[in-house]
Order: sequence, then structure tokens, then C-alpha cells
Amino acid sequence: MLSPSLTVVLLVAGMGFASVVAFGWALLRGSLDDPEAQARSILDQRDLRLGRPWETELQAQERTARYGSAVEPRPGEWGGTR
Amino acid sequence: MSEAAIADALEARRRLDGPGRKPALLCYVTAVAWLLVGTVFGDYASLLFQYPDLGTSWPALTFGRIRPAHLNAMIYGWSSLAMIGTSLWLVPRLVHTPLRWPSLAMLGGVVWNVGLVLGLWLLLAGRSDGLEWLELDRFFSDPFLVIGGGLVGASILRTLLAGRPKHLYVAVWYIAASFVWFPIIFVTGNLTSFRGVEHAAVNWFYAHNALGFWLTSISLGAIYYFIPKILGRPIHSYQLSLLGFWALAFFYALNGMHHLVGGPLPSWMITTSIVASVMMVIPVAAVAVNHHMTMVGRFTALRYSPTLRFVVLGAMAYTAVSLQGIFTALTEINRITHFTHWTIAHSHVGVYAFVTMVMFGSMYYVVPRLAGREWPSARLIAWHFWLVLIGIAVYVVALTIGGVVQGLALLDPKQPFQASVDVTKPWLLVRSLSAVVLTVGHLIFAWHLFRVLRAGAEPVVFLPWYRARPIRVDEERA
Repeated sequence: MLSPSLTVVLLVAGMGFASVVAFGWALLRGSLDDPEAQARSILDQRDLRLGRPWETELQAQERTARYGSAVEPRPGEWGGTR
Repeated sequence: MSEAAIADALEARRRLDGPGRKPALLCYVTAVAWLLVGTVFGDYASLLFQYPDLGTSWPALTFGRIRPAHLNAMIYGWSSLAMIGTSLWLVPRLVHTPLRWPSLAMLGGVVWNVGLVLGLWLLLAGRSDGLEWLELDRFFSDPFLVIGGGLVGASILRTLLAGRPKHLYVAVWYIAASFVWFPIIFVTGNLTSFRGVEHAAVNWFYAHNALGFWLTSISLGAIYYFIPKILGRPIHSYQLSLLGFWALAFFYALNGMHHLVGGPLPSWMITTSIVASVMMVIPVAAVAVNHHMTMVGRFTALRYSPTLRFVVLGAMAYTAVSLQGIFTALTEINRITHFTHWTIAHSHVGVYAFVTMVMFGSMYYVVPRLAGREWPSARLIAWHFWLVLIGIAVYVVALTIGGVVQGLALLDPKQPFQASVDVTKPWLLVRSLSAVVLTVGHLIFAWHLFRVLRAGAEPVVFLPWYRARPIRVDEERA
């Protein structure tokens, strides 16, 4: 039953097992703790305070209330425009 | 935050980008060169369906060589090098440390390109390994790709170790894992010890995982970075993003055998693969819901950010191609679509509408930060976007319909085989026309990139923050 497919079975099992080991390592290392901090790790203070022209007045007010007064974006801040 | 603190933050970002600048730009520039080469091959291959006798006196221009040349130029040239370039810029930003071993990364990019030039040259000369997605010569080309990819991977993984971040953002998981997965599946797929049916199984183990563990994973990593970064809000649910990644890591490798439905493999293997394919609805839904919920209330941002426009379109295409792939794995649907143009449409939703769109968006964001110059024309970006969007939409719709009518004709015992060919002709013509539209879009993009990078172009003058003002894409048009 396994003869024509043993290689693939072993490969798939090996890759799945390696992923389980990586998951365990991440769990023990604490890399999966504190999801809120991980989600925010790519955003620095400047990112959070940049005034975004597409935001509604309410969204802009919320941003200001939460992170402080708005910072003006630089040209090309959103990728691709002058 | 004071002006000085903002300047410090910007300076810190420039320091992070510095060492990776040259290798990332090398990968981007060569990626776009391969995009143009692959486009020419693709256009020519498409044209052969209307004019089958075209160029038959020159073997290098026959369909059997041009078609794999198109595929390999797009997969290992355009897509892979664009993804490597994005990874070389993204990883230092994600782990807050400059790229380590940038010379190795540079060398890796060069070696990868050398391997690809050799491989495509041999392919056009008639030397192919004869396996789907693995046509490049396993002795004279593939070793270059393994070494080149290994050098870039070493640089990226070394950067990751040097950063020692406590928090590994989900994009890091996707990108770092890709540089481990890819060499494993690529080397395995190229081993010569397999025979017969087993070789077919290993071939599809590779080809399907190249999509899931290389193209998809790096592109998803980029999406998880650019959407929250531009919107200035964290991803909707970080737990969902982890669920998506780990479900992919645990179960995706089982999927490849659904390409061999009806083939001479043990039925339990095919069934297991179909079940695993259906299970993929979990990570796909997790990713789709997460991206959508992050965008909710901010869709007007698409008018301001070309990067976001391309990336969000790519994210939507990811959901579409994944769901389409799940349905195609079901035997009742596979019975009709197998061996038809449907499969070509499906692969273009994946590699073009998803991966390529995400890479276009990434390059619109990253290139100015590496080159120190902005894209000169919002109008050209808009033209590029609409041409490739319309081009790929028409392409996919035409070939999907063409594939279904072809499959139904093939299944009809009353009709001769020729009938299944005849019904596809109008759809193949539409495909060729859409390919022309895509080609114009690619030429505009390449010309625009050249204008950003050419020597002597005026560098961007960064205004003080209190004078800077975003310019909307549609503003210049007005």
C-alpha cells in the first residue's frame, strides 16, 4: 500500500513534524505570548500618530485621543505617490 | 512627538535599510527584467494557439520549449526575485536590526540569476528535466538556485538571529519559514532516485508546495506588514493570523496529491489530499477575515495609497484562488476541469492576481525608500494598476469559461476530440488580447522603475513635516 508513495508520506510527515517542533519551540520561548504586543510591534509612535487623509473625523479624533496630536505624513508616505 | 524625535525615527529607519539596499535593489531590478522576458515568452506561447505554425522552423520557438520558459521565468525570475528583494528589506524592519551579511545576499542574488539564465538557455535549447515546475536543468541550473537561495536565506536568518526579537510578528514567521521550506522541497523535487508513479507524486509534492510554502507564504507575510503599516492600526486579530500560519505549516504539505486525481496512485493518498485541501478553508478563512476586518472602515485609503490598492487586491485574490483550489480538488469538479485551460486560469489567479499584485504593491512602497527618490508619476501608477487589473480579470474569466466548455466537450463521448479544441478558440483569442493589455502594463511599470532608478534623477526633497501634504492619485489627473 505504501510502496509507490513512501517518499511522499515521509516528506509530508517530516514537514508537519518539523512545524510541530517549531511551534513547541515558539511556545516555550514565549514568542506566542502577548499577541497584542506582537500585533503592535511593527507600528512605532510615528506610525500611530501620522494623520491619515482617508480617516473620518471621528477616526482622526480617536487617533489623536489615543496617541497624541497628529504628525504630518511625508511625501510618498503611503507608497507610490509623490 | 517633537520634530527632532521624528527625524531620529526616520534616521533609524534609514540606518535599518542601508545594508540591504544594494541586494534588494539588485533583486528588484532583475525581477522586473525577468517579468518582461517572461511576458514575451507568455505572449508568444499564447499566440501559438492562434497561429500554431508560427516559428516552427526554429525549435527554440516551439510551444514545448516556450511555455516552460515562460513559467520558469515568471516563477523563479520575476516572482521569486521580487519576493527575495521584499524579504531583504522587510526582515530588518521587522526585527529592528540592519541586514547581516549583505554581501552574501548580494552574491546570492547574482548566483540565482546566473542559474536562471543558464537554465532558460538550456530549456530553449531543448534540455529540460521534463517535470512540471522543475524543468530547469538539475545539473547546470538548479544548483545555482539552491546556492543563491541559500546565501540569501543565510543572510536573512542571520539577521533574524542578530535581532533576537522577543516578539516575532506573524510576517517574520511566514518569511523565515519560507527560506527554510523552499530549499527542502526544491532539492527533494530535483532528486533523481524516484521512479514512475512515485516521481509524479514527488513532482506534485514540490509544485504545490512551491506555491504554498514559497510564493504564498512570503506574499502573505508582505500583506500582513503593509496593510496594518499603512493604515496605522494593528491587524484585526493577531490570534487569527497565527492560526492561519500554523494551520498552513501543519497541513499544507498534504495537498499536492489532489493534482493527481484519477491517476494511478493509491486512492487513500488522493482522498487524504482532498480532505487536507478542504481543511485549508480554515487558514484561508482566518486570513481573509483578518485582512477584511482590518480594512473595514478604511477602504477609502485605497484612493490614496497605490501600495494598498495592489496589496488589498492581492489579498482578495488569495482568498479567491484558495477557495477555487479547494473546489477544484473535489473529484466531481476535477472530472471536468482536469487537463483543461481552467487550470491555467487558476494558476494565473494565484501567481498573478495574488503574488504579482502583492509584489507590485510592495515595490511601490519599498523602492523609494531604497532609492531615496519617489515614483515620478502618479498617472503612470494609475495606468499600470488599471491595465494589469483589467488584463488579468479578462484573462481569468476567458480561460475559466474556456476550460469548462473544453472539459464538458472532452467528457461528451458523442463529440470528437477536435470539438473540445474548437470550443476553446474564441476564449483563447480573448486570452491573447488580455495578454497584450498585461504587457502594456508591465512595460509602463518597467519604464517607471527605470525613471526612479536612473542616474541623475532628481532626488526627493523631503519637506519639513509641517509643509508636507499627501497627494492623492486622482489629484494629479484632475
